[in-house]
Amino acid sequence: MLNKVMWEVDRTDEALAAFKADTPAFLNAWEESWRRPVPPYPVGGSLTSRERVALETRDFGTLYAMGTNPFLLWQFARSVSVPGSMSIEQLVISFREAVLPHGYPDFFT
Amino acid sequence: MSEIVGVVGITHNPLMWSALDDPMSTDLDGVTANTSRLREWVSGLAPDVVVVIASDHLHMLVTSNMPAFMIGKASRMRAIHPNETRSFGLQPTELSGDHDLAAHLLGGRGMAPGFDFAFSDEPWLDHSFMVPLLLLRPELDLPMVPVFTNANSPPIPNARRFAQLGSHLRAAIQTATDRRRVLVVGSGHLAHELGGPRQFLATSPDPRFDEEAVSWMANGDLESAIAGSDFDRLTAAGNETYQFLNFITCMALAGGNPATFAEGTPTRFGNLPFFAWEDL
Repeated sequence: MLNKVMWEVDRTDEALAAFKADTPAFLNAWEESWRRPVPPYPVGGSLTSRERVALETRDFGTLYAMGTNPFLLWQFARSVSVPGSMSIEQLVISFREAVLPHGYPDFFT
Repeated sequence: MSEIVGVVGITHNPLMWSALDDPMSTDLDGVTANTSRLREWVSGLAPDVVVVIASDHLHMLVTSNMPAFMIGKASRMRAIHPNETRSFGLQPTELSGDHDLAAHLLGGRGMAPGFDFAFSDEPWLDHSFMVPLLLLRPELDLPMVPVFTNANSPPIPNARRFAQLGSHLRAAIQTATDRRRVLVVGSGHLAHELGGPRQFLATSPDPRFDEEAVSWMANGDLESAIAGSDFDRLTAAGNETYQFLNFITCMALAGGNPATFAEGTPTRFGNLPFFAWEDL
Protein backbone atom coordinates (compact mmCIF):
# COMPACT_ATOMS: atom_id res chain seq x y z
CA MET A 1 0.00 0.00 0.00
CA LEU A 2 2.97 2.34 0.40
CA ASN A 3 3.56 2.37 -3.34
CA LYS A 4 -0.09 3.14 -3.88
CA VAL A 5 -0.27 6.06 -1.48
CA MET A 6 2.93 7.60 -2.88
CA TRP A 7 1.53 7.21 -6.39
CA GLU A 8 -1.78 8.81 -5.44
CA VAL A 9 -0.07 11.72 -3.68
CA ASP A 10 2.13 12.49 -6.68
CA ARG A 11 -0.48 11.86 -9.35
CA THR A 12 -2.21 15.27 -9.27
CA ASP A 13 -1.29 18.73 -8.08
CA GLU A 14 -4.43 18.77 -5.92
CA ALA A 15 -3.51 15.56 -4.05
CA LEU A 16 0.07 16.73 -3.56
CA ALA A 17 -1.09 20.07 -2.14
CA ALA A 18 -3.49 18.33 0.23
CA PHE A 19 -0.80 15.92 1.44
CA LYS A 20 1.67 18.73 2.05
CA ALA A 21 -0.88 20.95 3.79
CA ASP A 22 -2.10 18.38 6.29
CA THR A 23 -0.60 14.92 5.98
CA PRO A 24 -2.57 13.23 8.80
CA ALA A 25 -5.84 14.54 7.38
CA PHE A 26 -4.86 13.37 3.90
CA LEU A 27 -4.02 9.89 5.18
CA ASN A 28 -7.24 9.72 7.19
CA ALA A 29 -9.25 10.52 4.09
CA TRP A 30 -7.17 8.09 2.04
CA GLU A 31 -7.89 5.24 4.46
CA GLU A 32 -11.56 6.19 4.61
CA SER A 33 -11.76 5.96 0.80
CA TRP A 34 -10.60 2.36 1.05
CA ARG A 35 -13.63 1.56 3.22
CA ARG A 36 -15.97 2.94 0.52
CA PRO A 37 -14.56 1.31 -2.62
CA VAL A 38 -15.66 2.46 -6.03
CA PRO A 39 -15.11 -0.30 -8.59
CA PRO A 40 -13.09 -1.35 -10.38
CA TYR A 41 -9.97 0.31 -8.94
CA PRO A 42 -10.64 1.66 -5.45
CA VAL A 43 -8.58 4.59 -4.34
CA GLY A 44 -7.19 4.63 -0.85
CA GLY A 45 -5.81 1.84 1.25
CA SER A 46 -4.76 0.89 4.74
CA LEU A 47 -1.45 1.53 6.43
CA THR A 48 0.34 0.09 9.43
CA SER A 49 1.22 2.54 12.17
CA ARG A 50 4.90 2.29 11.20
CA GLU A 51 4.12 3.06 7.57
CA ARG A 52 1.97 5.99 8.60
CA VAL A 53 4.65 7.49 10.80
CA ALA A 54 7.23 7.12 8.04
CA LEU A 55 4.98 9.01 5.63
CA GLU A 56 4.10 11.72 8.13
CA THR A 57 7.74 12.33 9.09
CA ARG A 58 9.06 12.07 5.51
CA ASP A 59 11.36 9.27 6.70
CA PHE A 60 12.61 8.27 3.25
CA GLY A 61 15.19 5.83 4.63
CA THR A 62 12.54 3.79 6.42
CA LEU A 63 10.23 3.91 3.42
CA TYR A 64 13.12 2.65 1.27
CA ALA A 65 13.99 -0.11 3.75
CA MET A 66 10.35 -1.23 3.71
CA GLY A 67 10.74 -2.17 0.03
CA THR A 68 8.97 0.67 -1.72
CA ASN A 69 9.60 1.01 -5.43
CA PRO A 70 12.74 3.20 -5.67
CA PHE A 71 11.45 5.18 -8.64
CA LEU A 72 8.15 5.95 -6.95
CA LEU A 73 9.93 6.79 -3.70
CA TRP A 74 12.26 9.27 -5.36
CA GLN A 75 9.42 10.94 -7.24
CA PHE A 76 7.43 11.15 -4.02
CA ALA A 77 10.41 12.51 -2.06
CA ARG A 78 11.06 15.15 -4.67
CA SER A 79 7.43 16.21 -4.94
CA VAL A 80 6.80 16.53 -1.19
CA SER A 81 10.17 18.18 -0.44
CA VAL A 82 11.03 20.51 -3.33
CA PRO A 83 10.36 23.37 -3.31
CA GLY A 84 9.47 24.15 0.25
CA SER A 85 11.35 21.94 2.65
CA MET A 86 14.68 22.02 0.85
CA SER A 87 16.45 22.54 -2.46
CA ILE A 88 16.88 19.68 -4.93
CA GLU A 89 20.62 19.65 -4.16
CA GLN A 90 19.92 19.27 -0.44
CA LEU A 91 17.39 16.54 -1.11
CA VAL A 92 19.83 14.55 -3.26
CA ILE A 93 22.35 14.55 -0.40
CA SER A 94 19.92 13.85 2.43
CA PHE A 95 18.12 11.16 0.43
CA ARG A 96 21.38 9.35 -0.29
CA GLU A 97 22.34 9.48 3.38
CA ALA A 98 18.92 8.09 4.29
CA VAL A 99 18.93 5.11 1.93
CA LEU A 100 22.64 4.24 1.94
CA PRO A 101 22.56 2.14 5.16
CA HIS A 102 19.84 -0.07 3.72
CA GLY A 103 21.61 -1.30 0.60
CA TYR A 104 19.21 -2.72 -1.95
CA PRO A 105 15.98 -3.98 -0.35
CA ASP A 106 13.82 -6.32 -2.41
CA PHE A 107 11.01 -4.24 -3.91
CA PHE A 108 9.05 -7.19 -5.28
CA THR A 109 5.40 -6.63 -4.37
CA MET B 1 3.46 -5.40 -47.11
CA SER B 2 4.88 -3.04 -44.54
CA GLU B 3 8.59 -2.41 -44.21
CA ILE B 4 10.77 -1.74 -41.19
CA VAL B 5 12.88 1.17 -42.41
CA GLY B 6 14.93 1.82 -39.30
CA VAL B 7 15.37 0.85 -35.64
CA VAL B 8 16.65 3.25 -33.01
CA GLY B 9 17.48 2.72 -29.35
CA ILE B 10 17.72 5.91 -27.37
CA THR B 11 17.67 7.48 -23.92
CA HIS B 12 14.54 8.96 -22.41
CA ASN B 13 16.19 10.65 -19.42
CA PRO B 14 13.85 13.59 -18.72
CA LEU B 15 16.38 15.49 -16.63
CA MET B 16 18.79 15.35 -19.55
CA TRP B 17 16.02 16.54 -21.87
CA SER B 18 15.22 19.51 -19.67
CA ALA B 19 18.94 20.40 -19.46
CA LEU B 20 19.51 20.37 -23.23
CA ASP B 21 18.55 24.03 -23.63
CA ASP B 22 20.98 25.14 -20.92
CA PRO B 23 24.01 26.72 -22.64
CA MET B 24 26.15 25.65 -19.67
CA SER B 25 25.42 21.96 -20.32
CA THR B 26 28.64 21.33 -22.21
CA ASP B 27 28.64 17.71 -20.99
CA LEU B 28 25.64 17.22 -23.28
CA ASP B 29 27.45 18.15 -26.50
CA GLY B 30 27.73 14.47 -27.39
CA VAL B 31 24.02 13.98 -26.78
CA THR B 32 23.21 16.94 -29.01
CA ALA B 33 25.45 15.61 -31.76
CA ASN B 34 24.05 12.09 -31.62
CA THR B 35 20.49 13.34 -31.47
CA SER B 36 21.04 15.57 -34.51
CA ARG B 37 22.64 12.71 -36.40
CA LEU B 38 19.80 10.30 -35.62
CA ARG B 39 17.11 12.91 -36.24
CA GLU B 40 18.50 13.61 -39.68
CA TRP B 41 18.76 9.91 -40.45
CA VAL B 42 15.19 9.30 -39.31
CA SER B 43 13.92 12.16 -41.45
CA GLY B 44 15.65 10.68 -44.49
CA LEU B 45 13.96 7.34 -43.94
CA ALA B 46 10.59 9.01 -44.62
CA PRO B 47 8.68 6.83 -42.17
CA ASP B 48 4.91 7.11 -42.05
CA VAL B 49 4.38 5.46 -38.67
CA VAL B 50 6.48 4.93 -35.56
CA VAL B 51 6.30 2.02 -33.11
CA VAL B 52 7.73 3.00 -29.73
CA ILE B 53 8.80 0.33 -27.24
CA ALA B 54 9.03 1.84 -23.77
CA SER B 55 8.35 1.22 -20.11
CA ASP B 56 5.73 3.31 -18.36
CA HIS B 57 7.26 4.62 -15.13
CA LEU B 58 4.33 3.79 -12.88
CA HIS B 59 2.32 6.64 -14.30
CA MET B 60 -0.45 4.90 -16.21
CA LEU B 61 0.27 1.37 -15.01
CA VAL B 62 0.66 0.59 -11.32
CA THR B 63 0.58 -2.55 -9.27
CA SER B 64 -3.23 -2.70 -9.18
CA ASN B 65 -2.90 -3.89 -12.78
CA MET B 66 0.53 -4.49 -14.25
CA PRO B 67 0.75 -6.16 -17.66
CA ALA B 68 4.08 -7.59 -18.78
CA PHE B 69 3.54 -6.37 -22.35
CA MET B 70 0.77 -4.13 -23.62
CA ILE B 71 -0.08 -2.39 -26.89
CA GLY B 72 -1.88 0.92 -27.06
CA LYS B 73 -4.64 0.67 -29.65
CA ALA B 74 -6.09 4.13 -30.20
CA SER B 75 -6.42 6.78 -32.87
CA ARG B 76 -5.75 9.57 -30.39
CA MET B 77 -3.82 9.36 -27.14
CA ARG B 78 -2.79 11.64 -24.32
CA ALA B 79 0.82 12.18 -23.43
CA ILE B 80 2.59 13.49 -20.33
CA HIS B 81 1.20 13.21 -16.82
CA PRO B 82 0.81 16.20 -14.48
CA ASN B 83 3.72 15.21 -12.23
CA GLU B 84 6.01 15.11 -15.27
CA THR B 85 5.08 18.69 -16.13
CA ARG B 86 5.75 19.64 -12.52
CA SER B 87 9.08 17.80 -12.32
CA PHE B 88 10.55 18.07 -15.81
CA GLY B 89 8.71 20.83 -17.63
CA LEU B 90 7.34 18.42 -20.21
CA GLN B 91 4.11 19.77 -21.64
CA PRO B 92 0.94 17.69 -22.03
CA THR B 93 -0.04 16.96 -25.59
CA GLU B 94 -2.07 14.61 -27.75
CA LEU B 95 -0.75 12.28 -30.43
CA SER B 96 -2.37 10.45 -33.28
CA GLY B 97 -2.20 6.69 -33.20
CA ASP B 98 -2.25 3.99 -35.88
CA HIS B 99 -5.17 1.93 -34.65
CA ASP B 100 -5.05 -0.54 -37.53
CA LEU B 101 -1.37 -1.34 -37.14
CA ALA B 102 -1.82 -1.68 -33.38
CA ALA B 103 -4.70 -4.09 -33.94
CA HIS B 104 -2.57 -6.09 -36.36
CA LEU B 105 0.34 -6.29 -33.89
CA LEU B 106 -2.09 -7.58 -31.27
CA GLY B 107 -2.99 -10.37 -33.64
CA GLY B 108 -6.45 -9.24 -34.71
CA ARG B 109 -9.66 -10.36 -33.11
CA GLY B 110 -8.41 -13.84 -32.38
CA MET B 111 -5.02 -13.21 -30.87
CA ALA B 112 -2.20 -14.63 -32.95
CA PRO B 113 -0.11 -17.46 -31.47
CA GLY B 114 3.12 -16.60 -29.79
CA PHE B 115 2.40 -13.49 -27.81
CA ASP B 116 -0.51 -12.64 -25.53
CA PHE B 117 -0.46 -8.87 -25.20
CA ALA B 118 -2.65 -6.82 -22.95
CA PHE B 119 -4.13 -3.82 -24.70
CA SER B 120 -5.37 -0.35 -23.91
CA ASP B 121 -7.78 1.75 -25.92
CA GLU B 122 -6.85 4.76 -23.77
CA PRO B 123 -3.08 4.77 -23.49
CA TRP B 124 -1.65 7.77 -21.64
CA LEU B 125 2.02 8.04 -22.51
CA ASP B 126 4.71 9.22 -20.15
CA HIS B 127 8.20 10.60 -20.74
CA SER B 128 9.60 7.18 -21.58
CA PHE B 129 7.64 7.40 -24.85
CA MET B 130 7.74 11.14 -25.34
CA VAL B 131 11.38 12.09 -24.77
CA PRO B 132 12.60 9.77 -27.57
CA LEU B 133 9.96 11.21 -29.91
CA LEU B 134 10.84 14.77 -28.94
CA LEU B 135 14.50 14.02 -29.62
CA LEU B 136 14.01 12.18 -32.91
CA ARG B 137 10.88 13.74 -34.36
CA PRO B 138 10.03 16.92 -32.47
CA GLU B 139 7.27 17.72 -34.96
CA LEU B 140 5.32 14.79 -33.44
CA ASP B 141 3.69 14.40 -36.83
CA LEU B 142 3.81 10.62 -37.19
CA PRO B 143 1.01 8.33 -36.04
CA MET B 144 2.40 5.98 -33.46
CA VAL B 145 1.82 2.65 -31.80
CA PRO B 146 3.01 2.40 -28.19
CA VAL B 147 4.28 -0.97 -26.97
CA PHE B 148 4.46 -0.96 -23.18
CA THR B 149 6.92 -3.27 -21.43
CA ASN B 150 7.12 -3.74 -17.69
CA ALA B 151 10.71 -2.96 -16.78
CA ASN B 152 10.03 -1.08 -13.57
CA SER B 153 8.04 -3.27 -11.23
CA PRO B 154 9.20 -6.84 -10.52
CA PRO B 155 8.42 -9.48 -11.57
CA ILE B 156 9.93 -8.31 -14.85
CA PRO B 157 9.91 -10.55 -17.93
CA ASN B 158 13.30 -12.10 -18.57
CA ALA B 159 15.72 -11.00 -21.28
CA ARG B 160 14.89 -13.86 -23.62
CA ARG B 161 11.25 -12.87 -23.50
CA PHE B 162 12.20 -9.33 -24.50
CA ALA B 163 14.11 -10.80 -27.46
CA GLN B 164 11.09 -12.90 -28.40
CA LEU B 165 9.02 -9.73 -28.28
CA GLY B 166 11.34 -8.19 -30.86
CA SER B 167 11.15 -11.19 -33.15
CA HIS B 168 7.38 -11.28 -32.83
CA LEU B 169 7.01 -7.57 -33.64
CA ARG B 170 9.37 -7.89 -36.61
CA ALA B 171 7.28 -10.66 -38.15
CA ALA B 172 4.02 -8.91 -37.34
CA ILE B 173 5.10 -5.59 -38.88
CA GLN B 174 6.39 -7.28 -42.00
CA THR B 175 3.09 -9.10 -42.52
CA ALA B 176 0.92 -6.01 -42.12
CA THR B 177 -0.93 -5.74 -45.40
CA ASP B 178 -0.97 -1.96 -45.71
CA ARG B 179 2.19 -0.51 -47.22
CA ARG B 180 3.72 1.34 -44.34
CA ARG B 181 7.25 2.54 -43.75
CA VAL B 182 7.69 1.70 -40.08
CA LEU B 183 10.26 3.29 -37.81
CA VAL B 184 10.82 1.46 -34.53
CA VAL B 185 12.14 3.31 -31.49
CA GLY B 186 13.25 1.56 -28.32
CA SER B 187 13.49 3.66 -25.16
CA GLY B 188 15.70 2.80 -22.22
CA HIS B 189 18.86 3.06 -20.21
CA LEU B 190 22.29 1.64 -19.85
CA ALA B 191 23.33 1.25 -16.19
CA HIS B 192 21.05 3.60 -14.29
CA GLU B 193 19.94 4.16 -10.74
CA LEU B 194 17.10 6.20 -9.32
CA GLY B 195 15.91 6.21 -5.74
CA GLY B 196 18.93 4.25 -4.55
CA PRO B 197 22.33 5.02 -3.01
CA ARG B 198 24.03 5.50 -6.40
CA GLN B 199 21.67 8.03 -7.97
CA PHE B 200 23.00 11.35 -9.24
CA LEU B 201 26.67 10.48 -8.86
CA ALA B 202 27.43 12.33 -12.12
CA THR B 203 28.77 9.12 -13.61
CA SER B 204 27.56 5.67 -14.54
CA PRO B 205 26.78 3.34 -11.60
CA ASP B 206 28.39 0.51 -13.58
CA PRO B 207 30.71 1.51 -16.47
CA ARG B 208 31.66 -2.12 -17.07
CA PHE B 209 28.06 -3.05 -17.78
CA ASP B 210 27.75 -0.09 -20.14
CA GLU B 211 30.85 -1.14 -22.05
CA GLU B 212 29.60 -4.70 -22.42
CA ALA B 213 26.11 -3.58 -23.36
CA VAL B 214 27.33 -1.28 -26.14
CA SER B 215 29.56 -4.03 -27.50
CA TRP B 216 26.63 -6.49 -27.58
CA MET B 217 24.69 -4.05 -29.71
CA ALA B 218 27.65 -3.14 -31.95
CA ASN B 219 28.44 -6.82 -32.55
CA GLY B 220 24.87 -8.07 -32.90
CA ASP B 221 25.59 -10.47 -30.08
CA LEU B 222 22.05 -11.22 -28.99
CA GLU B 223 22.86 -14.35 -26.99
CA SER B 224 25.51 -12.57 -24.92
CA ALA B 225 23.11 -9.69 -24.35
CA ILE B 226 20.50 -12.12 -23.06
CA ALA B 227 23.00 -14.01 -20.91
CA GLY B 228 24.40 -10.80 -19.48
CA SER B 229 21.05 -9.24 -18.65
CA ASP B 230 19.52 -11.50 -16.05
CA PHE B 231 17.63 -9.81 -13.23
CA ASP B 232 20.45 -9.96 -10.69
CA ARG B 233 23.06 -8.56 -13.10
CA LEU B 234 20.79 -5.70 -14.11
CA THR B 235 20.02 -4.94 -10.47
CA ALA B 236 23.74 -4.86 -9.69
CA ALA B 237 24.24 -2.38 -12.53
CA GLY B 238 21.64 -0.05 -11.01
CA ASN B 239 18.06 -0.35 -9.85
CA GLU B 240 16.65 1.20 -13.04
CA THR B 241 18.81 -0.75 -15.49
CA TYR B 242 15.98 -3.13 -16.39
CA GLN B 243 14.94 -0.78 -19.18
CA PHE B 244 18.06 -1.88 -21.08
CA LEU B 245 15.89 -4.88 -21.96
CA ASN B 246 14.02 -2.71 -24.47
CA PHE B 247 17.25 -2.53 -26.50
CA ILE B 248 17.40 -6.32 -26.57
CA THR B 249 13.94 -6.14 -28.12
CA CYS B 250 15.31 -3.65 -30.65
CA MET B 251 18.22 -5.88 -31.62
CA ALA B 252 15.94 -8.89 -32.11
CA LEU B 253 13.50 -6.71 -34.04
CA ALA B 254 16.42 -5.69 -36.28
CA GLY B 255 16.95 -9.35 -37.09
CA GLY B 256 19.80 -9.73 -34.60
CA ASN B 257 22.02 -7.62 -36.82
CA PRO B 258 24.85 -5.48 -35.46
CA ALA B 259 23.89 -1.91 -34.77
CA THR B 260 25.39 0.44 -37.33
CA PHE B 261 25.76 3.05 -34.61
CA ALA B 262 26.25 2.17 -30.94
CA GLU B 263 27.45 4.49 -28.22
CA GLY B 264 27.13 5.08 -24.52
CA THR B 265 27.59 8.83 -24.44
CA PRO B 266 29.11 10.07 -21.17
CA THR B 267 27.19 12.83 -19.38
CA ARG B 268 26.54 13.95 -15.81
CA PHE B 269 23.49 11.66 -15.99
CA GLY B 270 25.63 8.60 -16.68
CA ASN B 271 26.32 6.99 -20.03
CA LEU B 272 23.32 7.60 -22.26
CA PRO B 273 22.46 5.06 -24.96
CA PHE B 274 22.33 5.77 -28.68
CA PHE B 275 21.83 2.83 -31.04
CA ALA B 276 20.74 2.61 -34.65
CA TRP B 277 20.17 -0.30 -36.98
CA GLU B 278 20.24 0.44 -40.70
CA ASP B 279 20.80 -3.13 -41.90
CA LEU B 280 17.49 -4.82 -41.38
